[in-house]
Amino acid sequence: MNTSFDPSSFDPFAGLSFLGLNFKNPIVTASGTFNFGREYAHLYDLSELGGLTTKGTSLHPRAGNPTPRVAETPAGMLNAIGLENKGVEHYVTDELPWLRESFDTKVIVNVFGETPAEFAAVASRLGRWPHLLELNLSCPNVHGGALPFASDPKATEAVVRAVKDATDLPVIVKLSPNTDHLRTAQAAEAAGANGFSLINTILAAKIDTRTGRSALAYGTGGLSGPAVLPVAVRMVMQLARATSLPILGMGGVAGADDALQLAMAGATLVAVGTATFTNPIAPLEIARGLRDRLAAEGRSWGDVVGLALRP
Amino acid sequence: MTPNPTQWLLEDAAVTVPSASTVKGVLRLRSPRIAASAQPGQFVNVAVPGHVLRRPMAVAWAQDDELELVITARGEATQRLLSAQSGSSWSLIGPLGRSFPLPEGPGVIVTGGSGAGPGLFLAWRLAQAGRPVVLLHGARVGDEAFVADRAAGLGVRAVMHTEDGSLGLRGYPTASLRSEALALAEQYASPPTVYAVGPNALMAAAARVAAQENWDAWVSLEEAMACGVGACLSCACQVRDATGQPIQAHVCVDGPVFPAARVSWPLGA
Repeated sequence: MNTSFDPSSFDPFAGLSFLGLNFKNPIVTASGTFNFGREYAHLYDLSELGGLTTKGTSLHPRAGNPTPRVAETPAGMLNAIGLENKGVEHYVTDELPWLRESFDTKVIVNVFGETPAEFAAVASRLGRWPHLLELNLSCPNVHGGALPFASDPKATEAVVRAVKDATDLPVIVKLSPNTDHLRTAQAAEAAGANGFSLINTILAAKIDTRTGRSALAYGTGGLSGPAVLPVAVRMVMQLARATSLPILGMGGVAGADDALQLAMAGATLVAVGTATFTNPIAPLEIARGLRDRLAAEGRSWGDVVGLALRP
Repeated sequence: MTPNPTQWLLEDAAVTVPSASTVKGVLRLRSPRIAASAQPGQFVNVAVPGHVLRRPMAVAWAQDDELELVITARGEATQRLLSAQSGSSWSLIGPLGRSFPLPEGPGVIVTGGSGAGPGLFLAWRLAQAGRPVVLLHGARVGDEAFVADRAAGLGVRAVMHTEDGSLGLRGYPTASLRSEALALAEQYASPPTVYAVGPNALMAAAARVAAQENWDAWVSLEEAMACGVGACLSCACQVRDATGQPIQAHVCVDGPVFPAARVSWPLGA
C-alpha cells in the first residue's frame, strides 16, 4: 500500500454537504456585498465559489436610505443601505436565470419582508431558482424605531412558519448580534428552520467631528469588516453548542485563517462579505488559500468543523 | 449618458512620479491595462493597506501605460498616497464609471478643488482632439498652483481663480464661465459645451448658466461608496430620466458623469 501523501491530489472539501446540497468548497459570498454576482462575473469564474448569497430581496422594489450610506471605521466599515433592491419580480426575470444557467455554484437568496406574509410571498415567487433561502430577520438599517423580527421570538416563529409553508427549499435564518441570538435561534428551530447564518452587522455609529453629526444620513449603521471577526467566532461557538442544525458563519473574514476560525467554532460554510470591497477577488483567494492550507496539513474540512468545541 | 466603455480591471500599479507635496498634489503610476482604456471622467478605486474601503479617485491624465491622480490630503489614507515612494505598488480597480462625451464645438471646463484632476484630463483630451478648450479652475487660497503648472505642461489654457485673490482672478470660476464660453463660441462659430467638476454649489451654478444659454452641460457627482462597481448600492443619487421622471441612479456605474439637466439640483449638503 502506498502511504505517501500528495497534497495536490487531495481535496479537503470532498463530500462537503450543507442541508443536503453538495458544495465544492465552503466559501460563499455574503448578502449585500455581491449583488447578484454580475458585477464580478468578468473578473473570475463564479463557479469557483462554493456559493453566492444575493442582495436582500423584497416583494416590492425598495429605494433604500438617504446618502451617505457608508463610512469607514477602524478595521471595518458602517453601512446603512436600507435594503435597496429592485424587488423579487426583477430578480426572477433578469438575474437568477442568468446566474443559474451561467455558473455551477450554489445560489442562496436573502429574503426580506415587512410582514410574515411578505416573506412568504417572496419565497413563493422565487420558486426553484435558489438552492437555499436565507431569511433576513435582523437588518439593523430598515426598521426605524421598530425592533427587527429577530428581537421577538413570536415574530421569528411567524416568519419562519409562513416561509416554510410557502417553499420546499431549505431555509436558514440569519441571526443578529443585536438581539439574543440563542433565543431567536430556538424560536426559529421550533418553527421549522433548517439552519442558521450569522452574524449580521453590529449596530453602530460614527460621528464626523468636523460637523458634529453622524457620518451616515440614517444616523446608525451596521458594522462589518475585520473588527467583527471575534464577535462572530464567539457567537458561532455559542450557537453550535446550542443547536445541531448546520451553520453558515460570517463576520470579518478577510483570509483563510479567519475562515478556519469560524469553521473550528462550528460553521460548515463560511461567507466572505466586506473583504470583497477591499479586494474584489477575496472570496476566490480565501477558497484557494483554505484548500491549499488544509491540503498541506492533510486535513479535511470535516476534521476542522467544530474542532474548537470538542473536549 | 455615454455607454460604459470597458469592463473594469484589477491591477497593481507602481508609482513612477511621487507627489511633490504631502498636502495636495499629482501622483503618477504605471498601470498599463487601466491607463490604456481610461477616459476623462472615469475613476479608479485605490486600495490603501490597513484600510477596509478603497479610495475612489478620478483619473487626472492617462497615456500609454501611465496615469495620474490629483490627490488632496483628507485623512490617513490620502496622506499615505501623497507620501508614496517611487516604485511602491498600489492595487487599483478601474477604469470605473462613465466618461465625459467629447463636444461638437468648444469646451469650457469649470473645476473646483480636486475636480481639477478630471478637468485636466478632459481639457488635455479635447486639446488633443483639436477642440478649443479652456479650464477655469477655482481654489479657496493660492495653494493649487500645481493645477496651472500641470495645465501648462499639457498645453491647456487654464484660468486660475481664488476666493482670496492670491492666485489668478479673485472670485469663483463660474464668474468667468459666460464670457469665456461666449468668446469661444464666437471665435469658432459653434455653441460651447460646459463641463463642471467640483463642489455641488459650483456645479449647480455652472449648470444654471448653461441652462440659461441653452448650452449642453455635464457634471460629475460624488457620493461615499464602497465597491465602486455597482454591487453595494452605497452611492445612490437622485436624477431624472429622459422623460423628466425622478429616478434613483448610482454614481459609480450610472455616473459619475451625468447631463447637468438630469440632475435634481440642489443636491444634498
